[in-house]
Amino acid sequence: MNYSDLSSRLLHLGERLAKHAGKIDGETLGRSARRLAAHLDAFEEHLNSYLASRKSGELLLETLIRSPAAKRHLTIDLLKHGLREIAGKRLKSEDLPAAKREFIELIHEAGKQEKGVEFLQDAFAQAIHVEAGGKDKAHLQREFVRLGQLADEEFAQEIGKRTFGELRRVAGVNGIKFTDKTTKQRLTALIRRYAQRAAVNIAATRVPSHS
Amino acid sequence: MSSKVLAFINFKGGVGKTATVVNIGATLAKLHEKKVLIVDLDPQSNSSIWLMRPDRWREHVSKGRRSTFQIFDDALHGKARFDFDETVVKGVVTWTGFTDLPRLHLLPAAVELLRVEDRIHELRAPVVYQILDSALGLHFKEYDYVLLDCPPNLYSTTKTAIFSADGCVVPYVPDYLSLSGLMVLAEQIGEMREKFAPYLPPRRKPNIAAVIVSHYRQAGNVFRLAVNELELSLSQLQATGLLPDRAVLLQPYIRHCVRVAESTSEHLPVILYAPGSIGAQDYCDLTQRFVDLFESKK
Repeated sequence: MNYSDLSSRLLHLGERLAKHAGKIDGETLGRSARRLAAHLDAFEEHLNSYLASRKSGELLLETLIRSPAAKRHLTIDLLKHGLREIAGKRLKSEDLPAAKREFIELIHEAGKQEKGVEFLQDAFAQAIHVEAGGKDKAHLQREFVRLGQLADEEFAQEIGKRTFGELRRVAGVNGIKFTDKTTKQRLTALIRRYAQRAAVNIAATRVPSHS
Repeated sequence: MSSKVLAFINFKGGVGKTATVVNIGATLAKLHEKKVLIVDLDPQSNSSIWLMRPDRWREHVSKGRRSTFQIFDDALHGKARFDFDETVVKGVVTWTGFTDLPRLHLLPAAVELLRVEDRIHELRAPVVYQILDSALGLHFKEYDYVLLDCPPNLYSTTKTAIFSADGCVVPYVPDYLSLSGLMVLAEQIGEMREKFAPYLPPRRKPNIAAVIVSHYRQAGNVFRLAVNELELSLSQLQATGLLPDRAVLLQPYIRHCVRVAESTSEHLPVILYAPGSIGAQDYCDLTQRFVDLFESKK
């Protein structure tokens, strides 16, 4: 059942009740009506509190501030900055849950819900970390495959021309994990091993010529 | 309404097609207030039984009547029994018995779809490609996003989805088995593009628009190396023209998360079942990138 179905049902029930209200009586019906009225009281209380916490029907602001994205990306500093930018106000709370509540209250007070939604959406979008790999990533990836295609002697010559720092860049961009303690010899062996693998695997996905 | 119709395809199984469709769909509806339609085209009906309790699903699609099977059955028998309004399921029923995510709609599948592939070759081109488009094209316009969850193959049902779609999204597990299939997939879509061209509206060209990595683990070298090989393959496919230059590998990668697996048993998207989990967070971030890509904000 959804809330539209429930509202139709209540409307229908209300109409029937109004039509027959002057003629119905009896203990069983009365007891049942009392139970229904008690349940309605409880439901109305929940509904009122739900709607009051989402003033003017603006739901997305609350949804966003409690979302998984907020859990990952939202900080007090971000909320402070947002509030200043949107409503020109200062956030006083020092812990995040209280700051979230205060942010929502002050945004509602200022009637800037739409701006608040926009701010949170933009902030979450900007906070997503995307590994770009640097501007020479594509070049270093091609280089990696080329190294994998070389015979042992050629590979040794190529490696001999490079500094340790260059090798670390090639390894890092191409997904090889290493630490500060990894030696040049060990890193060279890793590059050799995985560059050969990449060369073989990528060659296998090469589009065959139909001519 | 300008809708985006996207086919989620990969003829390799177990790559996270359904998880991607269900969780991106739910996040679009909840956090971006988009109207979303998920069309389940897989006889395994995984999107359907993820979002519906099995008893409700079984009753709803009884004999394939209120399911996507009816669309294909109608095409085979020249009838028009499919009724969108009585087939579409609106929202997700939570354990309270009330619906959440009212903007997320589902056209469920039924196992009867298994019978379709045996007979669909009786229909000729272009009718066979146009089945989904003819039955649902007008309804698609009511949504911001239509996500077509395809079976793990490239047979006729999937082809009808590719024909109807503005683009294809390829969920992918970072390992060599997936990598080896990617080239074949790109090639097949290229062939379909040529075959469909005379029957498609001018601006619609089936293509891979995005690749999404799931089941990612950060431990060790394994997945980093596999993603690197994927990136190399994508560059190569772009260089040969089999992939458009604008096709992207969407980040972040979806990490392995037990709460996502668990949410299937709860029949809820992870954003509702475990909003604090890394799965929910990854899908939120990925959906943001998804919106940026398909709405060209960035």
